[in-house]
Amino acid sequence: MKKNSAVFKSDLNFKFACNKTLPSIELVYETYGEINADKSNAVLVCHAFSGSHEAAGLTSDGNKTGWWDEIIGPGKAIDTEKYFVVSINNLGSCYGSSGPKSISMKTNEPYGSKFPDVCVLDWVNSQKLLMDELEINCWEMVAGGSLGGMQALQWAVSYPEKIKRAAIIAATAQTSPQNIALNEVARQIIRKDSSFNNGEYISYNTTPKEGLKTARMLGHITYLSETNIQRRFGRKKQAPGTKVAEEVNFEIENYLQYKGDQFSEFFDANSYILMTKAMDEYNLADQFEGTMSKALERIKSKLLIISFTSDWLFPSWHSRRLQKDCILSDVKSSFIELEGSYGHDSFLFASPEYSKILKTFLGS
Amino acid sequence: MDSAYLNNWIKDESKVIDLGCGDGSLLRDLMNTKSVHGFGVENDLEKIEKCIENNVSVIQHDLDDGLKDFKHLGFDAAIMASSIQCLRNPKSALIDLLDVATTCVVSIPNFGYWKIRLLMMAGRMPVSSRLPSKWYETKNIHLCTIKDFEELCAELNLKILEKIYLNDHGRPLKKLKRGNLLAAEGVYLIGA
Repeated sequence: MKKNSAVFKSDLNFKFACNKTLPSIELVYETYGEINADKSNAVLVCHAFSGSHEAAGLTSDGNKTGWWDEIIGPGKAIDTEKYFVVSINNLGSCYGSSGPKSISMKTNEPYGSKFPDVCVLDWVNSQKLLMDELEINCWEMVAGGSLGGMQALQWAVSYPEKIKRAAIIAATAQTSPQNIALNEVARQIIRKDSSFNNGEYISYNTTPKEGLKTARMLGHITYLSETNIQRRFGRKKQAPGTKVAEEVNFEIENYLQYKGDQFSEFFDANSYILMTKAMDEYNLADQFEGTMSKALERIKSKLLIISFTSDWLFPSWHSRRLQKDCILSDVKSSFIELEGSYGHDSFLFASPEYSKILKTFLGS
Repeated sequence: MDSAYLNNWIKDESKVIDLGCGDGSLLRDLMNTKSVHGFGVENDLEKIEKCIENNVSVIQHDLDDGLKDFKHLGFDAAIMASSIQCLRNPKSALIDLLDVATTCVVSIPNFGYWKIRLLMMAGRMPVSSRLPSKWYETKNIHLCTIKDFEELCAELNLKILEKIYLNDHGRPLKKLKRGNLLAAEGVYLIGA
């Protein structure tokens, strides 16, 4: 699989939906496969909350595969022998694209907590800049899970002429109060970390690692399912000598602490707050005077809406509601609820049914 | 159900829902010939994949969970081809149908058909080319005859606007008389 990593710099003033502007933005991205002569085989994949542009193949540190490696690759659901896949790190994230860790040209300091509030529409607008740069006229498909699915939906609404298919997976058109509640607990945990320093921890030379770790532990539980952790950990006790911390008794505790520790090593606390806020704020109808039909009537592409049975973060009713709204607005759209025992994270893992549906949709 | 019979009943560019759409081929034909806005409802994943391959919008749903999800979504026509007898509660489905669409096309295999009666006379549950499954495998759990079905429609105040009786080969009988004995299938256009 041909794989490229690159940085795109736009020197145009970038205006965020919150009305703030940045004089320029940078987006790091990867591409997989090769673009054809008339540039008509491009697929955009959008990452979820803590994802990055590293979607397929080995990651740059060399010891992991990209977040959607089970789906993207030669012969896989998104076949890189046929399609040219673009994967971009979102604005406000912390993997290289402009975000809170970037240096402001005005102050010569990191933006920190002063980075503009970013939203799903901003991501799509910034992705459109790269699309123009790559001279791609129309995406064969925009696909993503969770927050990535919201971007796919947003693409279909905001740039109806620029997209043929949208795969909206384990996502929603409107986050629920439960989503917001869980995110707010996570944010509070981060803010209460004494190293957070109101978000200016970089200038104080501190990192709110403990806060990030605990926030991630909470988040991680919401990405799994009860069945999944029952099967995987049960009530098994962590063997002495393998514990990450003295106080740990059960394997599940050890696992969450381990995952939380790993996460706090690389993720940025301000990004955590920004990205979860973007998720909380997502309500497609809001952009159209509260009327969903006004948003959906713009769509010219086909939609594939997928949910998973064990997902309790964005349960199937979110997808069913979107499908119903699509029927009301005569949008070509299909809805499928797949068996998946991994909870919300099911969208990351390829099952034969899931791969086949995605592949068929992309080829239809 | 052959889309030929539907041509008079389904209007051009109307919004159609096919309840139990299988591989979506009926809707695809209607989309091609009548430019309808079609949505299919199906619960079998393999058939759903075929729908997507056929470019037909499809919603995964178990019809036994009822039709309330599809009420008042602006459908002009609902099609229920040979699936009502597979439902756990065909009566409530019939009641809900007119909240789903203004007109409904329903077809039923007629268990009053003389060939089936003959098979039953032999003391066995009918197995034929049209009804290929054995009693323990068949999806047809609420069997009815043309007489039974029309009686239920009358009881529920569902108007049969038009009807066609089909023979064993799926061709319309010239006369409706003695349809309960001579027809293998009944096809109905139902309205309020």
